[in-house]
Amino acid sequence: MKARRSVWHNQAIQSETKFALDGSLKQLERLTDEVARFCSERSLGDDMKFDLDLALEELFVNSVRHGGCDGMEEAVEIRLRADGTSVLVEFSDRGVPFDPTSAPPPNLDAPAEERQPGGLGIHLVRQMMRDFKYRREGDRNQISMRREG
Amino acid sequence: MIQHTEEIRAGWCVVAVRGRADAEAADELEEALKAALKQNSKVAADFSGLDYISSAGLRAVLQAARAAQTLEAEFAICRLSPSVKKVFDMSRLHQILRVHGELPC
Repeated sequence: MKARRSVWHNQAIQSETKFALDGSLKQLERLTDEVARFCSERSLGDDMKFDLDLALEELFVNSVRHGGCDGMEEAVEIRLRADGTSVLVEFSDRGVPFDPTSAPPPNLDAPAEERQPGGLGIHLVRQMMRDFKYRREGDRNQISMRREG
Repeated sequence: MIQHTEEIRAGWCVVAVRGRADAEAADELEEALKAALKQNSKVAADFSGLDYISSAGLRAVLQAARAAQTLEAEFAICRLSPSVKKVFDMSRLHQILRVHGELPC
């Protein structure tokens, strides 16, 4: 008897999406579109969509502006995986080694001019995401995190 | 993408901002708010049509607020949508900025 893919199996395949972005801020629109499609196909709500969009923008903009990814083709690779009501996010870039999970938390009460550039963005990521982890693998920074449903 | 319109109402210049204040649109937002502050002593940013803001957008608002201080102009940020308010709250910028539920005029 021929093996047939069950509907359940197909759903498992569709639970993941992967895309690459060039190192240009013009790619933000594409990032937003990919996140919106991922969420709407899985009936994930607007809060989930907003937080994924925001966390990924912050990481992407850091890579382009401070990580040396500016002008690099396919500089960033993003993988989104639905896990029940949560979403697992993997973000990797070909920039200089940088561990955002060990970046010092910004002094939010300090005047704007004393704040570290990029510090606020990482702070926002930490607020929205769980299991924020970093590892360097070959020439890539690999970040993983989870947005709970 | 971000759009804005300006309207004078009861002595206030109301800058209504629509769209997304992301890293690509942040400079445009900052310039629009600063331009209004240079020409008016009271500026209210109406963010009811703003769907999204990131740290780059927050920084633009902060820069406008600093320009307002230098120019001794009044600058009020009004009518944040719930998701944009959440980002302001997480950043704790609402402690530095004048954030209002409603327009002052």
